[in-house]
Amino acid sequence: MATAGATVAVERRAWPSSRPWYADVWIQMLRRKPLGTIGGAIVLVMLVAAVGADVITPYGFAQTSLGERFIAMDRAHWLGTDQLGRDLLTRLIYGARVSLYVGFGAVLIGCVLATLVGILSAYFGGRVDLFVQRGVDAWMAFPPLLLLMSIMSLVGPSAWNITIVLGIAFGVQNSRIIRSVALSIKEHTFIESARAAGSGHVRITAAHILPNVLPTIIVVATTGLSTVILTEASLSFLGLGVPPPYPTWGGMLSLAGLDHMYQAPWLAIWPAVALSLAVFGFNMLGDALRDLLDPRLKGR
Amino acid sequence: MKQYVLRRVALAVPTLILVSVMVFAMLRLMPGDVATRMVEGHGYAATLDALRHDLGLDRPVHVQYLDWISGIVLRGDFGRSYWTRQPILDEFTRRFPVTLELALFTIVVSVVIGVVLGIVSAVRQDTAADYVGRIVAILALSVPYFGLAVLAVVLPSIYFKWTPVWTYVPLTRDPLENLKILLVPALIFGVTRAGPIMRITRSALLDVLRQDYVRTAWSKGLPERSVILHHALKNALIPVISLIGLQMPLYIGGSVIIEAIFRLPGIGLFFFEALGKLDYPVVQSVNLIIAAMVVGLNLVIDLSYAFLDPRIRYR
Repeated sequence: MATAGATVAVERRAWPSSRPWYADVWIQMLRRKPLGTIGGAIVLVMLVAAVGADVITPYGFAQTSLGERFIAMDRAHWLGTDQLGRDLLTRLIYGARVSLYVGFGAVLIGCVLATLVGILSAYFGGRVDLFVQRGVDAWMAFPPLLLLMSIMSLVGPSAWNITIVLGIAFGVQNSRIIRSVALSIKEHTFIESARAAGSGHVRITAAHILPNVLPTIIVVATTGLSTVILTEASLSFLGLGVPPPYPTWGGMLSLAGLDHMYQAPWLAIWPAVALSLAVFGFNMLGDALRDLLDPRLKGR
Repeated sequence: MKQYVLRRVALAVPTLILVSVMVFAMLRLMPGDVATRMVEGHGYAATLDALRHDLGLDRPVHVQYLDWISGIVLRGDFGRSYWTRQPILDEFTRRFPVTLELALFTIVVSVVIGVVLGIVSAVRQDTAADYVGRIVAILALSVPYFGLAVLAVVLPSIYFKWTPVWTYVPLTRDPLENLKILLVPALIFGVTRAGPIMRITRSALLDVLRQDYVRTAWSKGLPERSVILHHALKNALIPVISLIGLQMPLYIGGSVIIEAIFRLPGIGLFFFEALGKLDYPVVQSVNLIIAAMVVGLNLVIDLSYAFLDPRIRYR
């Protein structure tokens, strides 16, 4: 893949654009990355659904109607209803809100943490780096799901808790990537000249290293979103995520509802479809953004 | 080589100590009190204090930690469950074969699917077969395995009157029945993990196919089959193997969910049930054993690289 990465980089330099890179990326995406564009469209639809859930849905997510239980599909309930007569489409749309809010929240927390840990560990090096990295080693020795399950069952399931816990996990895992990029930037002569010009630690890290790490951070964030959303769903599936009655895709699939699914298979099918679509969308968008922003990370 | 091995082993020790401190501290510092639940909900002892004394929870935290660790290091004793008072190691060794079998079976499924699709995709690069293969890989990557597992439990029972076997039979008692039970869980878990393997096989094989020795093999007039399978694939499989090693924690983590859905009595279910009951000794010991396995596995992988590629030893 090294050769393919190099071509992309050359292509980017061959047609210099007057637009800033963050605008140029989206135009390049529309032109050259059909799958990325599809992914972006799915993500956009999800975003609209998540933000506008209250306006879009005609029902409340916990609004029961015992006369309308287990409807498969009809004009009033496009995707049917569950054992309490709650509208499935409404619950899926609110579920998108959980997935996205937890996903974006956790990735935001994680990126801040990963950047801080990664840059500081790389910049100061020596003993700081050694200690921090052994801590990261220890964290990464756990299978992620076991560790997250342990923590979530102790702090208790809630939307805030899962966002923070997933954020910390995401941050620790990705601090390695940020660190390795920061390490290579640290060796450049412009850092040395900044130091010679009398810049302090804060100025060098914030004004010189951080901007150069930024594209990597964006790549880490976009490619990581699908994993975070999937992990949230796994934890909610196990009853360790966002607690009911608030609908989550993972929670809707959970074993607690298994008996009802035999009677109404759509209760299992649609949440699984929604989750797969979301993960697919974020994967495609993330892959395309990675190729456009940072060819070096291709194939990671 | 000997020096390198010693250095790597020495580096793994502090990691494991840190891991043990982490699991222990995590379980003690966070809210959630097992004693209250055992006394109030289940009447395990007359008073809270009596139970705390029984379980050793009234001792200072560092004493509890040293007790736990010294038991492991000196006597190979991983402690006992709060609820059943049974030794954890016995239960772990009883259940481990189930999880190991599931993991191995899953890896076989995902490698067979992933490597075959990867080869086809790479050899027929940019043809219809390649695009189909890549799209299948992306889709497989997107479908959550627990969603697929729930569908596999629910849908066939509605439409074909087929249900998974719910009572587990060990491999030693009836191998055929045992494989029948594990087939569906392993297929489902394996399919969803085949995506990354397919992608890495494809890209590694594409890289290798451009190398000179492969061109030499072609120009010797060897048939395609021999060039691809004997010459190119061997080198292309190195990154595949390291990917599987790196993903071992995911296989183990995922087994918690798969075992819960298909009711397989493995480590995952043991862990999940202990977690629900705040059974600290079980949670911390299982976490530690598995983390030690992961560290050990990574060590073996690193050492095998060093064995294969002498340059690594001198870095």
